[in-house]
Amino acid sequence: MNTAANRTTRRRAAVAVVAVMAVVAVFVVRLVSIQIVQADTLNAESFDKLSAETTSYGLRGDIVDEDGTVLATTVLRYDVTASPKSVTDFERTGDDGKSVDVTALQAAGEVAAIIGQTPEQVYGILTADPSSNHVVVVTGIDVDAFRAIRDLEIPWLYYESNPVRTYPNGAVAGSVVGFMGEDPDADPNAADPAEAPGESEVGVSGVEQMQNQCLTGTDGVETYERGADGVAIPGSSETVVQAQQGGTAVLTLDSDLQWFSQQTLLARIQETGAAWGTVVVQEVKTGKLLAVADYPSVDPNDVDATPADQRGSIAFQSPFEPGSTFKALTAASVLDAGLADVGTQVEAPFIYTDANGASTRDSEFHVDPLRLTFAGVMQESSNTGTAMLGELLSSQQRYDYIEKFHMTKPSEVGFPAESGGILAPWQDWDDQTNLTTTFGQGVSNTAIQIASLYQTLGNGGVRLPVQLLEGCKAEDGTMTGAPDATGEQIVPSTVSTDVVNMLETVVSGGYASKELSIPGYRVAAKTGTAQMSDGSGAYGDSYITSVAGLAPAEDPQYVVSVTIAKPVTIESALAAAPVFQKIMSQVLKEKRVLPSTVPSPDLPTTY
Amino acid sequence: MTNLAGATMSRPRPAFAQAVAVDPDFDLDLPGVEHPIAPRRIQVVPTRQQRRARPKIAYAAVVVAGVLAIVITQLMLSIGLSDGAYEISSLQSQQKELDRTNQTLSEQYDSLSSPQNLAASAEKLGMVANSTPVYLRLSDGAVLGSPAAATGATGAITAGQSLIPNASLNPVTGTPATAADATAAAAAAAAAAGATTADTASAPPVAEAPADIPWTGALPSPTTR
Repeated sequence: MNTAANRTTRRRAAVAVVAVMAVVAVFVVRLVSIQIVQADTLNAESFDKLSAETTSYGLRGDIVDEDGTVLATTVLRYDVTASPKSVTDFERTGDDGKSVDVTALQAAGEVAAIIGQTPEQVYGILTADPSSNHVVVVTGIDVDAFRAIRDLEIPWLYYESNPVRTYPNGAVAGSVVGFMGEDPDADPNAADPAEAPGESEVGVSGVEQMQNQCLTGTDGVETYERGADGVAIPGSSETVVQAQQGGTAVLTLDSDLQWFSQQTLLARIQETGAAWGTVVVQEVKTGKLLAVADYPSVDPNDVDATPADQRGSIAFQSPFEPGSTFKALTAASVLDAGLADVGTQVEAPFIYTDANGASTRDSEFHVDPLRLTFAGVMQESSNTGTAMLGELLSSQQRYDYIEKFHMTKPSEVGFPAESGGILAPWQDWDDQTNLTTTFGQGVSNTAIQIASLYQTLGNGGVRLPVQLLEGCKAEDGTMTGAPDATGEQIVPSTVSTDVVNMLETVVSGGYASKELSIPGYRVAAKTGTAQMSDGSGAYGDSYITSVAGLAPAEDPQYVVSVTIAKPVTIESALAAAPVFQKIMSQVLKEKRVLPSTVPSPDLPTTY
Repeated sequence: MTNLAGATMSRPRPAFAQAVAVDPDFDLDLPGVEHPIAPRRIQVVPTRQQRRARPKIAYAAVVVAGVLAIVITQLMLSIGLSDGAYEISSLQSQQKELDRTNQTLSEQYDSLSSPQNLAASAEKLGMVANSTPVYLRLSDGAVLGSPAAATGATGAITAGQSLIPNASLNPVTGTPATAADATAAAAAAAAAAGATTADTASAPPVAEAPADIPWTGALPSPTTR
């Protein structure tokens, strides 16, 4: 090789090296610019284009009864929206591969047929404002309708799903289960107008409110990157917030019994022309409520169908003067104080006036004083006899007993707006109140309190906390919030047994004997016909009739307490008695309680 | 000889030959070429050891094959992954559909098994409740209670009228939006409909009420041994 050739080669090499260096330099500069200088902005930009965010719903939990029957659950409903700007005719490819032209009006007609509207209505919505980009066609349709509309393949329709609360059993336990509504504590200014109605709702009544914290789920967010076709890029998904499903509130109620109680109660209310009523069924050995029936009640699926003041639970929230069913408490107090026994003899006059000058009289006129034992006083439901025996105790003693039986405070259930009854302190009792509190006037209690009183008497004097809730079951099956079930001895079992035996004479020989007895079973119950306050401090001419009782009397298992207010056709406890009899029979049958085999003590009632 | 010649020709001349062997009789034996008395050529040939130490074509083949294999594996992996992504996506949408079906069915099931519906159905079938149950005690065979036949008069619980409402038994109808000027719009639309002879015949049929399912099998009976 000569030197000239060598020089050319070297020059070429130099040029090549310079060119390569220049290109590399450009790449390096660009690389640094992209990877370091602009990195954050570019990343953010690309993420916006690539990434998609999905909400994984943490649905509100169910409310179920003791055997898992769903009383409230959350389902997804669908909203259909459209973009009127882009409402046009379009081409639809059928199953056979042929394309058909579909006009906007035809499409509107097809949608209308599914949602039960006329084509003109739907077309009207779509074309009302052609410049708009968003219009709601229909909200809250179910899966079937959603699928039918989606399968129409209309390009300008959009779909959104929303969780919605449903109550598969309707008004069964409706007043207890409660319903959802706008959060009363929410700041109205903070509300996002774009948020679908229903998303900001909270439980505003009943168990929905009581267990709102347990039931509420938390929505989760998941982000992922997607390709041009919307498919997630493998490995790119990232859960930002884990969705948390709401817990399940497990109630002690038995939905079948609950329905039977409501049905039986309402049938009787209609028959007697009464205004309202309640039924409470409680298990004696556990304190669990098996049924809490109210009329009027609400169907939580259709809250607006019930007037606002009738949507609560009367049994928990509305105290009333119980009348004679309260005499069981007076009897237990007097027996516990040792001032009388079941055979204590009383000459009960028609009208009794006590030392303070307060007076009362029996409901039925009688000339001669009735020669009754304590049991007989219960059987006859003699007001004068009860007052005479009750006044063996001082006012303070009687008040203390009433308090001891938890008749002055709300039950352990903690139901929203639960009442604890109304009773003035004994120092404030006037002479008449002092007398009438012995037989359940001048004192107000809820149906739950009355049921609890009979539970105590049926359970050997041990009062168990009233239970409506088994607990809150989390997604993983753990149960929390189970209520305390520690009992409290109120009176000795000898006293409670005596009272139950006295109450049995009411069923075996009282005026409502026929309506109260259940063949094969020993039943202990007390009737009540209380005069209702007319709202201005005096008693009006309407009554609250009630029956509270236990069965089987030899070993009480269940309490049934029935209250019917203002019956028109029958103004005595006979209005409530058949309801008690039917429901107690149903309870005994459903719970497989064997008929009584031990004979009744048959306490003497007269002498 | 030819062997050696072929080898030297096919291979590049080694740049730095350490050992030189001289072949005195070396001659190129090309056909058709007259050669004069050629000058003796001196050629550098590798020693046996050197030849052995040099890379063989097999190595190159292995490397190329290895690289190819890696590339192909990676390609397959990546195809597999994205295939998987599509499968996941399709399975997810399938699951979503199944979840929807599941929701519809359990919603239906819950409503149909509500006591209102059960009682109404039972009474429609002519069933009555017996309020005087009788128990057979297995320990001594005693019959507890006094058996009495249930009659329609005493056994009817609802007497044909369910008093406890349940709106969840009604079909879900959704809330149609009402445009502010819906009436006017509807009128305009009606005019349009008249002009274009709206064809709504293709509308899907309205959902039918669930029919009573007749029991076809044998009645379940206990197996007694």
